[in-house]
Amino acid sequence: MSYRRITRRDFLKTAGSLTAITAMGGFPSSLFAEERRLVRFPEKTDLILLTQRPPQLETPLGYFKELVTPNDALFVRWHISHVPTSIDLNQWRLKVGGNTETELQLSMDDLKKFEKVTYTAVLQCSGNGRSLFEPRVAGGQWKNGAMGNVTFTGARLKDILNKAGLKAGSVDVSFDGLDSPPLPSVPDLVKSLPVDKAMEEDIIVAYEMNGRYMPMLNGFPVRLVVPGWYATYWVKALTEITVLPKQFEGFWVKTAYRIPDTPCGCVDPGSSPKKTIPIHRMTTRSLIVNPEDKARLKVNRSFEIMGIAFSGGYSIKQVIVSLDEGRTWKEARLGQDKGRYSWIQWFYPWKPVKSGNYTLMAKATNSIGESQPSEGLWNPAGYLWNKVEKVEVLVS
Amino acid sequence: MKFISVIAILLSLATGIVYSWAQGTTHSINLPEARVELKPGEGLQKVETFCNICHSLDYIIMQPKLTKPQWTGTVNKMIKVFGAPITEEDAGLIVNYLVAQYGAGN
Repeated sequence: MSYRRITRRDFLKTAGSLTAITAMGGFPSSLFAEERRLVRFPEKTDLILLTQRPPQLETPLGYFKELVTPNDALFVRWHISHVPTSIDLNQWRLKVGGNTETELQLSMDDLKKFEKVTYTAVLQCSGNGRSLFEPRVAGGQWKNGAMGNVTFTGARLKDILNKAGLKAGSVDVSFDGLDSPPLPSVPDLVKSLPVDKAMEEDIIVAYEMNGRYMPMLNGFPVRLVVPGWYATYWVKALTEITVLPKQFEGFWVKTAYRIPDTPCGCVDPGSSPKKTIPIHRMTTRSLIVNPEDKARLKVNRSFEIMGIAFSGGYSIKQVIVSLDEGRTWKEARLGQDKGRYSWIQWFYPWKPVKSGNYTLMAKATNSIGESQPSEGLWNPAGYLWNKVEKVEVLVS
Repeated sequence: MKFISVIAILLSLATGIVYSWAQGTTHSINLPEARVELKPGEGLQKVETFCNICHSLDYIIMQPKLTKPQWTGTVNKMIKVFGAPITEEDAGLIVNYLVAQYGAGN
């Protein structure tokens, strides 16, 4: 369980700072560019600090040894600084209206009367892996921890929209949360889906994460869950659903969160795309979780290489592993299948008989043949990262 | 004894609930106050005044060493897209600070 070791080491490194946080109720200063240290926010465990206001917190890699990510370890990402911190469920309502037959004001009890749906799905930030881009791009500098695999429970969006009754000519559905901008000129975070997408069977308004209410920083009391698509659509603290008779024109869809309109979603490094489209389905990825990069292993000792793999809503068909930097590949054993939106764990037994440096790689392919590139594909916003990654270990 | 331990468990469960839902149906958290110290340098005061309006200053520390065109683009985005109330003169000071202290040096 090397993540415990790493966590403890990181903790010791920052123990003074953590003490200071507790004592002062604030954060200690930080002078070093790109420093990564652990902090603890309400209802969360120690996570890697990216930013404090609004909070952006990354999950340490070791938690991905677990098939389902614990609520307190799931990453946190808010866009605009007025983040909800107190919600009275007696007052809270989910408003549904716009181009509908009736307007709804659903309480939590109303929401729980809809048929209950539960599944496990990967929640991944569009910019997960952005810090690995070359040339580097501005934005949240995530490594691989802006993701998690969570069991969500909630009501189907489709059932809610049908209760309100879509009027003819509906084009888009927009989703607004309780977060609000610090200046009137800052666009509020509102996202949208085309109405056909919004009416898909598997999209839910979730009120539970892993069988419990969700932490405030992960979207209490309800968040939209769009399995297979990037988390930018999974609006947190959802409070208003609006059906629109025309295309949604808001900043966070029309201007932000866009990818090049090319088959790979990429352009030549450093260049600008001619045309862009909204980001949507996730690319196929795999990750080696154990051993971690720069780990030391013992010669002639049995070891099980372990990792995860997932794609945007299509099951993982195969994961192959290389122990010699991609010269030869062998198939890994896949673990428990929790459905097409979940990640799957994979395992590969290894007993190195010669000491030396090894470069491990893993590559996943999904059921429709989508796989991973061996070179990083580049786009200016740092989205869609899914390069086959290398983990270097020393065997002695 | 068994009965008493059952009561104890129920009580601890109840207090757990009361703890996380302090005022009945209201769920609240307290976010820690953001405090970030940037490197000293000319223009730091402008950076602290304006960038802090919308976000904590670790947004700057987090970035890779950006080039002058990249920092200029970022500051312009804050002004033109998000409406940061920064004059042209102050924007120049802010860009120079960012390039000097958190930049790639070109």
